[in-house]
Order: sequence, then structure tokens, then C-alpha cells
Amino acid sequence: MLDHKKKFELLSYVLLFAAILAMPLFMDDFWLNRIAKYLVYGMLGVAISLSWGYAGILNLGQGLFFGAGAYMLAMSLKLASPTSLNQGADKPVPDFMLWNAEPGAVTDLCCINSGSFLWIPFQSQWFGVAMGLVVPVLLALGLGYAMFAQRISGVFVSIITLATVLLVRLLVIDAQPITNGFNGLTDLGWFTVGGFEFDPYLVQTYYLVAVSLIIVLLLTHWLVNTRAGLILQALRDDANRTSFLGFNIALYQTFFFAVSAGIAGFAGMLYVIAAEFASPTFMDLTFSISMVVWAAVGGRNSLIGACIGAVLINVIAASVSETETFVEAWKAILGFLFVGVVLFMPRGLAGFTGDLVDRLARNGKAKQDLAPGDNAEKA
Amino acid sequence: MTVALLIDGVGVDFGGFKAVDGFSMSIDEGELMVLLGANGAGKTTLMDLISGKTKATEGHIYIDETEITNWAPHRIVQQGLGRKFQIPSVFRELSLRQNMEVAATVHPAVLRNLGSRLPADRVRRIDEVLELVGLDTRQNELAGNLSHGETQWLELGMLIVQNPKIILLDEPTAGMTQAETLKTSRIINDLKGRHTLLVVEHDMSFVREIAHHITVMHLGKFLASGTIAEIETNEDVRRAYLGSGGIK
Ligand SMILES: Nc1ncnc2c1ncn2[C@@H]1O[C@H](COP(=O)(O)OP(=O)(O)OP(=O)(O)O)[C@@H](O)[C@H]1O
Ligand SMILES: [Mg+2]
Repeated sequence: MLDHKKKFELLSYVLLFAAILAMPLFMDDFWLNRIAKYLVYGMLGVAISLSWGYAGILNLGQGLFFGAGAYMLAMSLKLASPTSLNQGADKPVPDFMLWNAEPGAVTDLCCINSGSFLWIPFQSQWFGVAMGLVVPVLLALGLGYAMFAQRISGVFVSIITLATVLLVRLLVIDAQPITNGFNGLTDLGWFTVGGFEFDPYLVQTYYLVAVSLIIVLLLTHWLVNTRAGLILQALRDDANRTSFLGFNIALYQTFFFAVSAGIAGFAGMLYVIAAEFASPTFMDLTFSISMVVWAAVGGRNSLIGACIGAVLINVIAASVSETETFVEAWKAILGFLFVGVVLFMPRGLAGFTGDLVDRLARNGKAKQDLAPGDNAEKA
Repeated sequence: MTVALLIDGVGVDFGGFKAVDGFSMSIDEGELMVLLGANGAGKTTLMDLISGKTKATEGHIYIDETEITNWAPHRIVQQGLGRKFQIPSVFRELSLRQNMEVAATVHPAVLRNLGSRLPADRVRRIDEVLELVGLDTRQNELAGNLSHGETQWLELGMLIVQNPKIILLDEPTAGMTQAETLKTSRIINDLKGRHTLLVVEHDMSFVREIAHHITVMHLGKFLASGTIAEIETNEDVRRAYLGSGGIK
């Protein structure tokens, strides 16, 4: 028999999935594309919830992993864009490399500039996809183990992750010849599977994102309910106690940090497919902090709560910012929202509705207990 | 008899202050040793040194001839050590049963704990132990809701399902009523023989219930060791305890 909490959780998953899948019935192409991007943000909410809510790691640099995933796929898609293929399908060169090439340079990826050879394997789209997962995960394994093996925790992890994302952002901007610096990678080709091109305004592209989000939610839900997930929650509760039960807590933290990074990288790739660009703004401080706000508002201890928080906030923001004057005000509203939630609803929307369900269930039970038939049965 | 835990000249220097100073003792397999000492004698610090929480600045510690001095705590645990803290320490946001499940984990590695359910014998053991410590009816409550005494029992229960060869207990009856203390001594007596135990305790009536041997520590140093009767009549011990009112 499921208790009411489990029932409520199941219900919210079913409702969310149904809503996501039914969206194309109510939206035009333009809004569908927008919602697809917000679903990507929802996936970032899941990633934050996993690392912050479940592992107790407040990563203020999640944009690093999102950006890494985005750039990896964007490199492949850039090489697939018509402008890169001007000099023949076997010799793709990104337009920005041509613009900046030294006079007389060989216009080939091998040697148009000193770093361009790095792009060569990205001629295969699937190499880009693989790197979109591998790079964020490897970065997270390295960064994570370096921190957690030193028993670095709490606010210091936040500071280190924050500093790292800013550093990488600078490096990306600085490596202009191979990253197009500030401008990022634009004018991309379409993601293609078996000849099918995922034009961002197609309903199929929406479903690619939607189904990906559903899969990520199901997988993470499974993950936190494994014994490893339980041990992770124990670790968040009392890291010392956990290590005195024989667990290498650095490995647990690193593992879940890397899973969270992988999800963020995956989200970055989906974003590139839906938005057709990758840019250093993905590694802006404000973006990484926004993700944390979404998850806090939705409820960081709940994967689905953080996901819904991210989507809702962005839908509201999009509706509000149709009006010019609200665009700036919105930032202030978001700030107040965050402070308000932290002060009055520390477990976010998910915690709030959870408590509500608790109370309703208890009231329902009390009524049942009062029912005469029930009493007679017990007696 | 084989020695299960050997402590050889161990000490730690906290910036000039030696909380434990060249301390030695050994505990035979299956024996229960009580560690006595006034407040601040260094008993908890000694347990910190054994369990790897604090790094020793001198000496050596062995479990079954394997030197474990200054290993990381989780490796010492994997070598067969379990510990209960002076300030009871459980996972307050998990249910009692989940606390026990974490403690009963067979393989500590992350990937070994994806998907695998607890083996049936472990599940049965959790049921038994929850009953032994008298918390079986409350297993779905959050551990944070337990009283002080109940928290101590939960932590004891976690130690029992963890099933380490060597168990360190730091003041397991602190803050307990007489009835609760009695129940605890029954639980601990049940562990004797199957585990090697080192117990820090102030309550002499409790010590009489459980102890074979006593070691006394004073100002970080070894002072005396022997049976209860020997310790109670030992001149050095009397003198050391004069300030704090003697052993009661
Ligand atoms: N990390 C530390 N740095 C400096 N001094 C410490 C540290 N840990 C413990 N001490 C000191 O070492 C001495 C021994 O402390 P310890 O907690 O081991 O005593 P104890 O025998 O367990 O006492 P109690 O019976 O009160 O629990 C105390 O004077 C304490 O202040
Ligand atoms: Mg102590």
C-alpha cells in the first residue's frame, strides 16, 4: 500500500509528464520552441536539486557544465552549417575562422590557426554529442575529487565552483580564434538523426527535448531511490557519521557531482538544438545563480519540484517581459521571490505542497476515525 | 588469546598540549575493556586517534597486526572498526529504518549500491536488532524525533548491524535514566564475546554490570589497568581521582 506522500509524488510526475506531452496541442510553433528551452531549464533544475538538495553541494558554477555541453555540440553543428561548407563538404571551416585568418593561411581545419585542429573530430556530429557528455563529466570528476578528497565543503565549494566557471568563461572568450570569443557560436546547422533534421520550430524538436526531460527525471528519481542515493542523503545529513560507517564520502560526492554535471551538459546540448547558438553568457554568474534560484523556489529537495520551479519561473518571466517596463522590474521581483522563499518557504513549492498534502491526509484520516462504522469495526 | 586492538605509545600534540601522551594498551579478541578517566583525561581523543578522526603525532595502532595509524576513517572502518560517539550521532533526516539500512550496507562502493537491494539476511538482521534495541515499532519515524536515550539506542543498533569486529563506545549511557541504563547494559552484554569492545564510561554501577577489565587514563597518560577490585584499591588511581571525588 502506497502512503499518501508516495501517491502524491506519483500523481505529480504523471501530471507533469502529461502536461509536457500535451503541450503541442495548445501552443503554436513559436511558443513551443520557447517552452522547449524552459524544459531545458527544468532539466537544469533537476541537476541542481540532485547536487544541492540531495548531495548538499551548492554548486554556483553549474553553467560551466551546461556551457561545456553546449559548446561541444555547437562545434559539430557549426561545422554542419551551410556557411561552413562553402568550400566543399569535405573541407568545412567556420566562418569566423575565415574572417580572422592570417593572409595566406591554408583554409583548412588542420592549420587555419594554431588551435583549429581541435575542431577536426567535430566533423562527426556524434563525436560532438559524446563530448557534450564526456567533457562536463570529466571536468566534474576532476574538480569534484580535488575538492571532496580535501574534505572541502559548504560555502567553500560554492566559492570554488563559482570562481571556476568565471575563469573558464574568461578562457573561452580569450580563445577567440577557436571559440569566436564573446560572440559565441551562431549560425549553426540542424541536429540530424538518420536524415531527419531537427529544425527548432518543429514539433519533433519539442518532443526531443520533452522526452529527454522525462527520461532524465525518471533516471534521477531511480538514482536517488537506490541504496547509493540513500547513502548520499545520509552523507548530506552527517558526513562524519557516514565515513565512520565505512563509506568513502569523497567518492560519493564526486559521483553525484559528476552525474549532475552530465545532466547539465546534456541540457546544454538540448539548448543548442532548440536555440541554435552557444555563447559565453551560459557561463555568466547570473545564469548559474538563476538556476539555483529556480531550484530553491521549486524546492531543492524535490527533483520534480526544482524542475517545475525552473519551468514556471521562466514561463512567468516570458509572459511578464512582453511588457517593456517589466523587464528590469522582473529581476527585482525574482530577487524578492528568492529571499521570500528562503525566509518563509525554505523547502520551496514542493515542500509547501507536501505539507499541504500531509495536512489534508491527516484531516481525512481524522474524519475517517470519527466515522461510526469505522469505530464499530475496530471494536 | 589473540590481540584484536593494539595501541603502542600513541599520542597527539595540539600545539604544545598533549591530550594523549605515549599511551599504550591492548585488548584481546572478544574482550570488553572499560576506559576510565576524569573529565578531560583524553578518552574521547584516544578514540579519535584509533578511529582516524584525529591524526596521531606519535605511536602506532594495529588491528589484528595490520597497522592502521592515521588511515582515513572509512578505511579503518573497512578494516573492522565501528564507533559510537559521545554526542549521539545518527542521520536525523532519515527514518530509523533507513538509518539501519545505511549502517547495514555490505559493500561501501558507490557503484555496488546502484540497484542492489539489501540481501534478505541483512533485512532480517535489521528487524532483529530494531527489536533488540526496542525501536521496532517506530522504525518509520524520522530519527530526529527520538529522545536522547532512544538516539543512543539507535546508534547502538546501527553499530550492531554494521557488525564490526571492534566496537568503540563513548559514554553509551550518558543522560540515561536508571531503567534506560539497565537496558543498555543488557544490550552491551549481548555484544560481549562476539565483538571486541572498548567502552568509556563514568557510571561505576554500569561498569560493574559490563566490565572484565578496566584501564585508567590520567592527563593523557596510562595510569593503571586491572580488574574492578584491583582498580578500586589502586593507590595511584585514588590519588588521581582525589580532586574529582574519587571513583564512586
Ligand atoms: N582538537 C583539539 N584541540 C585542542 N585541544 C583539544 C582538542 N580535542 C580535545 N582537546 C583537549 O584535550 C583534552 C582531552 O579531551 P577529551 O575530550 O579527550 O577528554 P575526555 O576524557 O573524553 O573527557 P570527558 O569525560 O569530558 O568526555 C581536553 O582538555 C580537551 O580540551
Ligand atoms: Mg569524552
